[in-house]
Amino acid sequence: MRALVVDDSRTMRRIVADILGDLGFDTSQAGNGREALDMLEAGQTFDVACIDWNMPVMDGLEFIAAVRAQHEWSGLTLIMVTTEGERDQVVRALAAGAHEYLMKPFTPDALASKLGLLGLLPVEESL
Amino acid sequence: MSITIAVDARHITAIATEVFAAMIDRETGLLTPWPGGPMTVADPLHAWVDLCTVPASRLQLTTDAVTAADLTRAFLTLGEAEPVTEADVVDAFGELANVLGGSIKALLPEHVAHTLPEVSRQSPSDAGAVRLNEARLAWRGRPLVISLWRI
Amino acid sequence: MTISAGTFTFVADLVRRRSGVQLTDDKEYLVEARLQPIVRQIGLSGVDEYVDTLRTVPYGAEHDRVVEALTTNETSWFRDFTTFQILIGHTVPALVHDRRVSRPLRVWSAGCSTGQEPYSIAMALLDAAPGLTVEITATDISQEALRRGRAGRYSQLEINRGLPAAMLVRHFTRAGTEWELSEEVRSKVTFSRHNLLDTPPPGGSFDIIFLCYVLIYFGPETRREVLCRVRSVLAPGGFLLLGAAESVIDVGDGWDRVPVGRGHVYQVNARGAA
Repeated sequence: MRALVVDDSRTMRRIVADILGDLGFDTSQAGNGREALDMLEAGQTFDVACIDWNMPVMDGLEFIAAVRAQHEWSGLTLIMVTTEGERDQVVRALAAGAHEYLMKPFTPDALASKLGLLGLLPVEESL
Repeated sequence: MSITIAVDARHITAIATEVFAAMIDRETGLLTPWPGGPMTVADPLHAWVDLCTVPASRLQLTTDAVTAADLTRAFLTLGEAEPVTEADVVDAFGELANVLGGSIKALLPEHVAHTLPEVSRQSPSDAGAVRLNEARLAWRGRPLVISLWRI
Repeated sequence: MTISAGTFTFVADLVRRRSGVQLTDDKEYLVEARLQPIVRQIGLSGVDEYVDTLRTVPYGAEHDRVVEALTTNETSWFRDFTTFQILIGHTVPALVHDRRVSRPLRVWSAGCSTGQEPYSIAMALLDAAPGLTVEITATDISQEALRRGRAGRYSQLEINRGLPAAMLVRHFTRAGTEWELSEEVRSKVTFSRHNLLDTPPPGGSFDIIFLCYVLIYFGPETRREVLCRVRSVLAPGGFLLLGAAESVIDVGDGWDRVPVGRGHVYQVNARGAA
């Protein structure tokens, strides 16, 4: 399974990529929505993208809207991972087409639980 | 509701506690209120985000440079002795201010945007800014100040 | 492992006597992990030192604290998605179809901890069957967990764990640094203190009983006892749900295990031993 991590913070990209790597994903990174879109347009494919909201050049909401506007990318699951914590922001993100929403700060098992909800993890429970 | 009422020192401390427990220490108890007595931050480093409230405000994080480097290691789950570059510290310390700022923003009655984080050895709040609230904390015993300013 | 064998034995005995939960030898790490925060908060040097202070005094609040620390789980919303799919797709339709008299659907969330499970049940039913009258009885041995459950407020970290974002926006509002469940959801759940080794909660039989990630903490005899008590309050045609990872547990002859999708439900086997 392949994952794309989109965040302008190198620190956050690394943290998310580490968690995804531990869960068995091959990960790639992009520093903003525009870079991420360029990767998709160049033909790279992913199963899931974890996207920050506030980024320069193209923010996460714009990226999500752009992905959902293209039928060829309909297989890409979109998880917003952001500091935006108001209920209305969650509503906006879901309305734009995000499949899930994870608020910073978060723990590794919180991200894992979101992937589980989306059916992206093997069905296996451990205590 | 003014930001001073919506966000007081207790809120700042509560939010910081959650952020540190989730992403820095991965356990509770290492970030505590400053025990009292004088707090001096030698060789300070500041990270901040500005909130687009009316009037505008700022969430600022201040500690000494050595502690900022240790925070970076903790954030990146690196060992105590592992090297971190200045760029690593700027990114991590800035992201910490970003996460704190975003969480504090959520306490406000209406949504406001916030700026991308900045980091500097020079405090941006020296001239003209008015300190509204502040949480004086100890992280693993080191001084850490989270302050809210009107700018 | 840094705790002594004597410390582990003392804690395991204490926990077993007070709650029935059995800590097997491989759970030493859990004792260390759960008590370390208390040790640090008090300012002692280690778990051994802390436990030593408990040996010489009569049972009191500090002993309670140890039992609580060892018996609370890492709870999550919708902990097993398959369990909820079974709830919505199979058990509820079967029960509603079977009803001769229209009466509330009664659900027991046994070992509800801080409330995520019973509230998840309430949200799932509200979304899937909004017209259905539902009464959810949520029980746990921990007063602190019940207090949190009744409040219906959760931190961002707790919210992040297992709750679909769509459910968040439908059923929660912000309350300071926390998120609060709507009155509509909270009104469906009643919390009360209950030890699974005691007589089951009053009020009549239950149509669905959730006993998820509870039996794993008990030894075989205690499991039989708990299952026997649970069986005695399950309505005819009712369903018992265990955790998805608990499918290897031997529930004994009194139950039929019915495969549903990728999971199982249990129904009373009238022929089997009680």
